[in-house]
Amino acid sequence: MAKILIIDDDETIHLIGVAYLGKAGYEVQTSFDGPEGLEKAVAFQPDLVLLDINMPKMSGFDVAKKLRENEATRHIPIFIMTSLKQDSNIQRGYGLGIDDYITKPTNMAHLKLKIDKFLEKHKQP
Amino acid sequence: MLEFLTQSPHFYDYVTAGVLFLGVFNACEILFLLYNKTKVERSELRRGNLKRLASTALITATNPADLLPPPVTEDEFAAYSEAIASVLDSFEGEVAVKACQLLTDLKIDDHYRRLARHRTWYKRGNAIDILSSFRLNDNKAFFLDIFRSEPSTDVKYRILYGLSRLTREHAEIRELAELLSTLPYLTAKYTEDIFFNIISTLKAEGKEEEFGLFMKELLDDKLVLNLVKRDCITACHAASCERGRGVLKQYYEAHAHEPEIQIAAVKALAKMGDFALIPQALRHADWRVRLTALKYADLCCMDMLPEIRGLLRDPSYHVRLAAGMTMARAGGAARAALKEEASSQDKFAAAAAAYALTQGAA
Repeated sequence: MAKILIIDDDETIHLIGVAYLGKAGYEVQTSFDGPEGLEKAVAFQPDLVLLDINMPKMSGFDVAKKLRENEATRHIPIFIMTSLKQDSNIQRGYGLGIDDYITKPTNMAHLKLKIDKFLEKHKQP
Repeated sequence: MLEFLTQSPHFYDYVTAGVLFLGVFNACEILFLLYNKTKVERSELRRGNLKRLASTALITATNPADLLPPPVTEDEFAAYSEAIASVLDSFEGEVAVKACQLLTDLKIDDHYRRLARHRTWYKRGNAIDILSSFRLNDNKAFFLDIFRSEPSTDVKYRILYGLSRLTREHAEIRELAELLSTLPYLTAKYTEDIFFNIISTLKAEGKEEEFGLFMKELLDDKLVLNLVKRDCITACHAASCERGRGVLKQYYEAHAHEPEIQIAAVKALAKMGDFALIPQALRHADWRVRLTALKYADLCCMDMLPEIRGLLRDPSYHVRLAAGMTMARAGGAARAALKEEASSQDKFAAAAAAYALTQGAA
């Protein structure tokens, strides 16, 4: 069972993410802020991180940077999921080594398909 | 009074009474604060629980209104509206449709429409903000209606912000720009956000050409402030609105005496990889336009090296430095020319060239 970690300060995202992705057969864990998310990423070793940008304590960009710097988490794919649509943010995200930049509002069915395809393609032998 | 008190045989009684009074007052104050703290905490907890309940109902139920108690208090309305706004901000598709339906079923939109006509301006403003977050198309006519009767400018700005999230056709965008021009100019960021919202919505719906049409109409619209036109171009830049590309050159030509519009046009076009305006912008009479053009000159116009080199002697300090930096970035012959200029007789040109060479080396 593939594992997904959602790092977002909005509880609604957690509830909907857990409901949809859980139903689709993923093991989902959530965290409300960057520091907690970084700890969970090390312990949970998810196959994918869904990351928001605007969060308390630490921005999503900083979380992505720290995930990439840490030996234990640098291999984990990151999808940024945010309402920030400016090109500068998209460029900054890809510059940090993220794998996809998804802008809100998101269609959960489409997101699920995207995650399915991505994980299938990057499945480790 | 003080003399009377100090000479009175009951002086110490008065002091004791005063101290006791202060002690009781402080104790009451602490109790009042504790009571309020508990009240706020309970209210937050209740709001959080209701919000969670609403989100869960939206995911699990076919008709969420059947599972949720109808809101009665202001807190309950706030909890539901927060949950729904959060869903609408983050999701589209089935869950968003259910969230919109819930607004009508629980009469949440009616409640905030009533509040939008409240006698207190900040309550009206808050209601408008909440209605804006719902992005209901039905609210378009309502917003336009209350805009006309609204006495507070602060609330009017919020109404227009709400409208910017619902505007879809070029005629509506033009109406919004004209309404914006009837208000005192607020800030560049506010106006830019309004147009950015519009472009984002149109892009998401594949109707970006509507913005291109609006830009064409706006060019000669005398009812719209030039500052609003400038911010519209800046929003085009921020949102990479390709459909406005053709008309941006016309804005540059038509606003020869509005350097700020010309700067915005040069920047927006350069971001799209179109450097056609840079040569004429480098010769512009306004130093701010020359400065903007220099930021992109190394990408397109190094055949104009003699002219860029001439800008090392520009009356503006900023232009001189930018010319040096452009030549340093371009490298090759431009950098060699910059080295020559560093030992020039013109001390201003020499200083700009020396600075640019140091920066380049760094």
